[in-house]
Amino acid sequence: MATLVVLLVFALFIGAILTGGYNKQMIERFRSHWLWEWLTTVDHKKIGVLYALGGGFFFIFGGIEALLMRIQLFFPDNHFIVGRDFNELLSMHGTTMIFFVAMPLLFALMNVAIPLQIGARDVAFPFLNALGFWLFFAGALLMNLSWLFGGAPDSGWTNYVPIALNEYSPGTGIDYYVLGLQIAGFGTTMGGLNFLATIINMRAPGMSFLRMPLFTWTSFVASALVLFGFPPLTAGLFLVMFDRLFGAQFFEVALGGNPVIWQHLFWIFGHPEVYIVILPAFGVMSDVISNFARKRLFGYTSMVFATLLIGFLGFMVWAHHMFTVGMGPMVNSIFAIATMAIAVPTGIKVFNWLFTLWGGKITFTTAMLYAVGFIPTFVMGGVTGIMLSVPPADFQYHDTYFVVAHFHYVLIGGTVFGILSGLYYWWPKMFGYTLNETLGKWNFWIFFIGFHLTFLIQHVIGLYGMPRRYFTYQAEDGITLFNQISTVGAVMMAVGAILLVLNIFVSYRQRESLVAGGDPWDGRTLEWAIPSPPPVYNFAQLPQVRALDCWWHEKMEGNKEMEPAEPLESIHMPNDTPLPLIMSIGFFIAGLGLVFRAFEVGIVGLLVVIVAMFMRSFKPDHGYHIEVEEIKATEKGA
Amino acid sequence: MSSAELHHHAQTSAPLPPHPEKATLEGRNKILGIWLLIGAETVLFACLFGTYLALRGSNMNGPTTEELFQIPMVAAATLILLTSSLTSVLGVVGMHQNNVKKVQLWFGITVLLGAAFLGLEIYEFIEYVHEGHTFTGSAFGSAFYTLIGTHGSHVLFGITWISSLMIQVARRGLTLETTPKLFVASLYWHFVDVVWVFIFTVVYLMGKVG
Amino acid sequence: METNVQHQPNQSVSEDRSMKYVLSFVWMLLLTGASFAIVTMHLVPENMVIPALLILAMLQVLLQFFTFMHLDFKKSRLTAVFTFSGIAIGFICAIALWLIS
Repeated sequence: MATLVVLLVFALFIGAILTGGYNKQMIERFRSHWLWEWLTTVDHKKIGVLYALGGGFFFIFGGIEALLMRIQLFFPDNHFIVGRDFNELLSMHGTTMIFFVAMPLLFALMNVAIPLQIGARDVAFPFLNALGFWLFFAGALLMNLSWLFGGAPDSGWTNYVPIALNEYSPGTGIDYYVLGLQIAGFGTTMGGLNFLATIINMRAPGMSFLRMPLFTWTSFVASALVLFGFPPLTAGLFLVMFDRLFGAQFFEVALGGNPVIWQHLFWIFGHPEVYIVILPAFGVMSDVISNFARKRLFGYTSMVFATLLIGFLGFMVWAHHMFTVGMGPMVNSIFAIATMAIAVPTGIKVFNWLFTLWGGKITFTTAMLYAVGFIPTFVMGGVTGIMLSVPPADFQYHDTYFVVAHFHYVLIGGTVFGILSGLYYWWPKMFGYTLNETLGKWNFWIFFIGFHLTFLIQHVIGLYGMPRRYFTYQAEDGITLFNQISTVGAVMMAVGAILLVLNIFVSYRQRESLVAGGDPWDGRTLEWAIPSPPPVYNFAQLPQVRALDCWWHEKMEGNKEMEPAEPLESIHMPNDTPLPLIMSIGFFIAGLGLVFRAFEVGIVGLLVVIVAMFMRSFKPDHGYHIEVEEIKATEKGA
Repeated sequence: MSSAELHHHAQTSAPLPPHPEKATLEGRNKILGIWLLIGAETVLFACLFGTYLALRGSNMNGPTTEELFQIPMVAAATLILLTSSLTSVLGVVGMHQNNVKKVQLWFGITVLLGAAFLGLEIYEFIEYVHEGHTFTGSAFGSAFYTLIGTHGSHVLFGITWISSLMIQVARRGLTLETTPKLFVASLYWHFVDVVWVFIFTVVYLMGKVG
Repeated sequence: METNVQHQPNQSVSEDRSMKYVLSFVWMLLLTGASFAIVTMHLVPENMVIPALLILAMLQVLLQFFTFMHLDFKKSRLTAVFTFSGIAIGFICAIALWLIS
């Protein structure tokens, strides 16, 4: 089998060289196809769309997994999907939703908005940006292949050892988890590094740190958390991989190993991770609320400070996920207090949003509805978080549906609402037409009510003592009705999600009448100062930024556009390149090889990666120029 | 934009500015990027260090750290890597003087020293395996080889990187494109040395005092 | 975003810093030597050995950062902030894994 794959890959390689290297016609046919442009793009706006497509695609998988679990829990003692199958569903649901839905969708918004908000023509490392996307996609695809070949991971999204070791989870499920996440994690780390460098080095003249829109600020801090939070996961995944594939003994107690190490490594990553997915959502909310309340954000500086503080404290609280491990009262107390401290900056944010709304001239667009719905929902999730941070109480709540309800309130009520708000808000900037508002409001209300129906009752289910991850319960437990309400809510959420897809189709059909123009929401920040969708170079001349909410400032001064900071010159742009895709395919092959213990295939995959790296390093790539005449023509057309 | 000038520069081969690695936006981005990467790698290595410290007593039936480690061998490896750190910074001095020969000489020595270090490490691993200290034998063995091996693979990557840059310099000379690459690679090399400082302290010397 | 490729002859600007680097190298050798001496010759009381070793290692790392790697708090503050954040977070991770697992 392995040898066969090796031969196949080599055949493809040689085939590619023979047809690609010597047949100019073939190359031309490839290059002129519209798909080629998307596969090789290094433009941040297109990569943003790719991230959105990828995240949306895996959202379908994660959603179906959730629905199947809720159907199983509709009746007591149900036999629809039980045992290991149910474990696979819950593991894949959690992993998919966090890594392959929440993160890429946020990266989509970050890619689309950040360079425009800071007045840059592209990100600092366009190549790395493309590579980050393709690695995410390769990792996500690899892990989801597990449904077809060899069984899915079944140890929860936390993948606790020793149940994730060969002895208790034989087969290839956990290997898919380890390698899929590793590959996707490399991509995410690159994405975070890229955004940090972009925000530090690429701001337009006058765009000081304290003039950046809050979405850029929160994404900046979230990117720092990615940079420092993902390495522990990388290390942990390596250790599990070594234990499973190469017979290492990190977690084998009989040979001196210690399973708690995995828990620490996972949560040193895992807790910053929840801030990675919530902080950009906070940023979206801040921009949307200030835009549609038509007021400057209340307490901008304190918002920035609170964001930094949350980022810092986010690294000091991971062990609150491990109160029941037995670390002792001292350690538990320290982490409990640090956890409670996070409520302070979060509270600052909530009050600032409320004060921004106060006295504002509010328009309830769909984006704003999501933002306003987010505030009470997220506060509820935050309050249960404080309840969980008290160790003696946590001993009661631990691993019950109370915890499930808590983190769905923050992850859906916070992150998903933020993403949806951001999609409705920036959709016109991405595609040049707005989404249909009537359908959007239906989408919001059905999704919002369905969400609370599903998860509010789960607090009660948890307090009644139902543990999370169990595939059944008994009729005499007295929680049948609660579970049925929850399932009905889940179906309603699915209807809400389908309405979103419907809205995208309908709006695309009506795009002629929904055409947006550069500034459909009467915006405040820099991205609304340029046409929608923006030309490939974003800004014909880099703008001179003179205030916070700089575009609003110029409009109030009576200016029709930003003051340019440079004369009109030819613009240098990076070339498209297929290398990121090729490298990701290499990683994908290597991952697949390791999953099936075919190490020669793994080596072939890594060779593809290394060759691509050499090609990148040795071949000078000077990019191309857009000449002044062309820019003038484009600007006139827009 | 900067690379417009970079491109222009490559064609006209004007003299290099005093700090060619920071003269273009691309160069400044690269330097910032490598520092960010170093920050991330610090955390990665810290996690492996923590794992090693937690598991170093679990030698089961194998030799303990005190029986295993040989001070002279560690001292030799340390000296080699420390010297290579100096030679790579001398290479950067050559780069600032726009002196291709000096760059090739010092970076060449750096690569050779790196290779010597790797050779010594492989020899050391073989010795240890003969003494019954194996990757699969105990949690201590797994943690030790993972930590040292990860560092070794960084050395290998550094050698490959610097060698391939030397080829590029030989072909294209010192330009606004090759100089940031060299500078960044030398930063990476120093970082590899910094990690080794902690390895000889935490693994070997602290292993000797128990 | 602006770029300034200064086209000026540079022989005078880059004076030979080599001696400065060799000097820092000697310091590094001394620090390394001190670490090895502490362990082989039992120079300090037993309960002070590990703190002394860690302090010497930290000193040497700072020396590397500020001389060989040209880290500069004034010129590139954010770079230094991110580097030291990495060290601080790494320190917390390592200590936590060591002591509470």
